[in-house]
Amino acid sequence: MMALSTAAPAVGAAFLASIVEVVEAFTIVLAVATLRGWRPAAVGAAGGLAVLAGIVLLLGPVLNRIPITSLQLAIGILLLLFGMGWLRKASLRAGGVIPLHDENAIFAAEAAALVEQASRQRRSLSWAAGITALKAVLLEGLEVVFIVIAVGAGRGLLVPASLGALAACVLVLAIGVVVHRPLSRVPENNLKFGVGVMLSAFGVFWTGEGLGIAWPGQDLALLLFAALFLGAGLIGASLARKLRVEFA
Amino acid sequence: MTMLKELAAELIGMFIGEKRLTISILAIVAAVGSLVDFTGLDPLLGGAALLLGCLILLIDSVCRSARAGAS
Repeated sequence: MMALSTAAPAVGAAFLASIVEVVEAFTIVLAVATLRGWRPAAVGAAGGLAVLAGIVLLLGPVLNRIPITSLQLAIGILLLLFGMGWLRKASLRAGGVIPLHDENAIFAAEAAALVEQASRQRRSLSWAAGITALKAVLLEGLEVVFIVIAVGAGRGLLVPASLGALAACVLVLAIGVVVHRPLSRVPENNLKFGVGVMLSAFGVFWTGEGLGIAWPGQDLALLLFAALFLGAGLIGASLARKLRVEFA
Repeated sequence: MTMLKELAAELIGMFIGEKRLTISILAIVAAVGSLVDFTGLDPLLGGAALLLGCLILLIDSVCRSARAGAS
């Protein structure tokens, strides 16, 4: 029986991170569909998903052969790099140092780039549209795959974490089908802040376990780590806001 | 080929957002690992150093970028 204190952060991190990435991929696929119809968009997106599935199928058996402590250490370090990178950027966005993501602007830029690319490369617009959709799904999906593997592989939580990611995909697609425009009202930076906090907490936890550290309270230590990273991120955002004014 | 390059750039970019932060995180992990393994440091103290070090690095990296006004 898996502990809720272990499963909940893993599923939550996979779900929230997937929402962020799926929203970004959806914006580009929608731009493709609006410009060239749903067929190239759907074919490109399906192609991207197929490549991602291939990567997961290749990686799965390899991960099972790696000793658990080495796996925890490697994944922990990667999670620290990835999670703290997200948290740093989210803090800078919250502090007004770098601009927030604007899905409407990304939608317009992607549509313009697609037309320009098709004319420059003298390819049919359908071909360029399909490739653009494929790339969007593949590139954004890679991060989802990494997060699912990273938060799930250390404790046999790959299936719950995958279900968390799948739930996010279904949710975004369902909302996207209904509203049929870029999902610009998703509080993306808040989500990224939350995901950065959780991934950084997982990163310290796995890295420590990989180094042979037995954390007091075991999985419950994750909650303490998350609270501390949240505090550090908020302090960082607050200091960034002050420094931005000071140095402006 | 272009797509493979973009894929590689995406993969690298996932883990190396800011070079100084990346190197510092790796240095802390290496230092804690060495201290625990080779000097017999209490693993819990090593864990506390890892956690505290990462928290300080995060705040420092955000402040430095804010001062520079960079991303």
